[in-house]
Amino acid sequence: MLEYQNLFTRVQVRHAPDPGLPIPTPQYRVGKGGFGLLGYLAGKIGDAQIGPIYLGWFGTLSLVFGFAAFEIIGLNMWRSVGWDTVEFIRRLPWLALEPPSPEYGLRIPPLDQGGWYLLAGFCLTVSILLWWVRTYRRARALGLGTHLAWAFASAIFLYLSFFFQPVLVGSWSEMVPFGIFPHLDWTSAFSIRYGNLYYNPFHALSIAFLYGSVLLFAMHGATILAVSRLGGEREIEQITDRGTASERAALFWRWTMGWNATMESIHRWAWWFAVLTTLTGGIGILLTGTVVDNWYMWAVKHDVAPRYPAANIITPDQREFLRGRYQGASPDSFPDYQVPATVVDSMLVQPDSAAAPADSAAIAAPTDTVAALRGKIGDSVVTVRIPGGTK
Amino acid sequence: MRRVTTPLVLAALVLGACKGNEKTQVAQLGAKETGQTGECGTAMEQVYDMDDVGPKYAATNIPTPLPPAGVSPPGPLPWKNVQVLNDISVAEFNRTMVAFSTWVAGTGNCAYCHNVANFSSDTLNDGTPIYTKLVARRMIQMTRHINGQYAAHVKNTGVTCYTCHRGKPLPNGLWFYESKDDYLRHYLDRDGGRVISATEAPSNANRSSVKQTEWQYALMISMSQSLNVNCTYCHNTRSFASWETSPPARVQAYHGIFMLRDVNQNYLAPLRPVYPAVRLGPMGDAPKAQCLTCHNNAYKPLYGAQMTKDYPAVWGRSEWNGVPFPSFNATPAVAATPTDSTVASAPVPAARAVGTPTAVAPKAPAVVPPVRGATR
Repeated sequence: MLEYQNLFTRVQVRHAPDPGLPIPTPQYRVGKGGFGLLGYLAGKIGDAQIGPIYLGWFGTLSLVFGFAAFEIIGLNMWRSVGWDTVEFIRRLPWLALEPPSPEYGLRIPPLDQGGWYLLAGFCLTVSILLWWVRTYRRARALGLGTHLAWAFASAIFLYLSFFFQPVLVGSWSEMVPFGIFPHLDWTSAFSIRYGNLYYNPFHALSIAFLYGSVLLFAMHGATILAVSRLGGEREIEQITDRGTASERAALFWRWTMGWNATMESIHRWAWWFAVLTTLTGGIGILLTGTVVDNWYMWAVKHDVAPRYPAANIITPDQREFLRGRYQGASPDSFPDYQVPATVVDSMLVQPDSAAAPADSAAIAAPTDTVAALRGKIGDSVVTVRIPGGTK
Repeated sequence: MRRVTTPLVLAALVLGACKGNEKTQVAQLGAKETGQTGECGTAMEQVYDMDDVGPKYAATNIPTPLPPAGVSPPGPLPWKNVQVLNDISVAEFNRTMVAFSTWVAGTGNCAYCHNVANFSSDTLNDGTPIYTKLVARRMIQMTRHINGQYAAHVKNTGVTCYTCHRGKPLPNGLWFYESKDDYLRHYLDRDGGRVISATEAPSNANRSSVKQTEWQYALMISMSQSLNVNCTYCHNTRSFASWETSPPARVQAYHGIFMLRDVNQNYLAPLRPVYPAVRLGPMGDAPKAQCLTCHNNAYKPLYGAQMTKDYPAVWGRSEWNGVPFPSFNATPAVAATPTDSTVASAPVPAARAVGTPTAVAPKAPAVVPPVRGATR
């Protein structure tokens, strides 16, 4: 066991794969377990038996729904590039299955207007919830606590917040698109729409717990590896029977940081940091657009953010003008335009020869549209319609 | 205890520069000039990468102005069918036409717009209308309209044909309708762009969704790329919506949106029946302008070169910033047709009546970017 003291280990654990406990429905157990290439690479860090996996009804259904969501998303992306395989691969990071447009509110849109999005979201949600049931039931079956299921539930709460927030503000178009860059663009747009999410205190808490989780993970991993030469990797034994590894680790942190966690409490620290990351994040999402619509103004009002002197002195009239109007849905049709009669007049010349020479055809105005306008020359302006714009 | 040597994993850090795409900016570590543009602690600063701006500035070609023209001899103008440039002297008129031929046609070729057998005609000998001449006439009206009505955006530099055309018949950045949600429609027929609430609490006044925010975001990014500047050139990003904490440049940019809306609505889009089909978009609409059309990836078009001071025909007034134009007649000798009846009827946004908010000088001196000056 002394071989485990470094970041990488040359020791590859190879033994008959451990099938685990006997279970009442052995047919749910898939594979016999082994090591293989992946196991070899993972074995560079530690014991890495792969499989057997337990599927069962919840696992199987979860995979079915997950596959359905994956297919709906992927096929819609592929369709968006005209079923062109090369373009699909080339543009994959930018492709998206977008939620319905704002004009649908919370109504069900046609499939190609966001209906597929809702369907994919439903399948993905069912898949995730079934997977949660699986984590809970497997933990119980093994006689474990359900800490993992509840930590996963916290992440699912954040995921579902992205469904409940749009429902609360009344528009599917708030939802997160499926896509690699598109969902990142969504985070920017969501923040901008609600006046800078950095001023949302729950967003701030979520970031603090997220970075804290990373820090704790690194601190804990480093500590255990550092004391493994003293038997410190046997954390459970050290919890109940504190040895020199535990004492030296604790002393190290008291010296450097002023206080220490214990072999047991460090795991509570880590669990709560991880759980609170998504819990506070979800609360922040649910408050956005429902309780607070402009987090910057909220933060300045409550002295969370400082007030700076104005760079522009603006009168109320000017402010009202500069504000402009809120964006509504796009106009459904394309507008007509008025052409000054002087312009049209210049074009209304009766051709006195039948056909234009070939070389001048390129720079000649189309006579059919000119002729179409001819009857209206009595007006000071003539209306032009955009041909493709009529719905 | 046996010591286990750990193999060292060396990762090669490759600082790669993407090539092969002209639009890709090659990352370079070069001289920067930085200036504070906002309150201390707000990280508001403007950075000019001199290795980027310098060569672009040097490569910007400004046509040498032709020798100035004098006043006309007394009497009526010697030509017919002059509808838009009848307030300048004969010599100035000819000089301007020569300039147009290089600014727009790029060839110095009169025949790009004219029937060389009969310069006054709007048609070829066979009677076919010459669309380039009809468009050019409207563009002259547009240029004067911009210079006369949009000082809040073009200041006393103004625009000429060359600002957009750069010696090419088709300026850069022309756009067409593609879909109903095209973000460039803000430059034409969508005037509501706000997505951020003016109140802390939600209300039904603002029903904009994240998706509409993304459209607005796309518009802003197109402006950013058109001017080769980042968000903080016009915004303090702690609050994109706040005018009080935004740099004064944002107000000027806002007037630019009004200008584009006016130009697209009243000058460019209505030209649709004049163009041949090859010049129209997939939905049959005329080419329209956006920020890129004039700016061409510079924070000021042509880096602020003041070309209008040499061309009263496009400036449209009898003096340029106090310098009189002798070749400009405030009262035309012969008004064959109404000069520009459409300018008066064009809707004027209320913007200009309100005026530009006062800019408070930043505490630290701002960077003075290179400007093509009047000394050229």
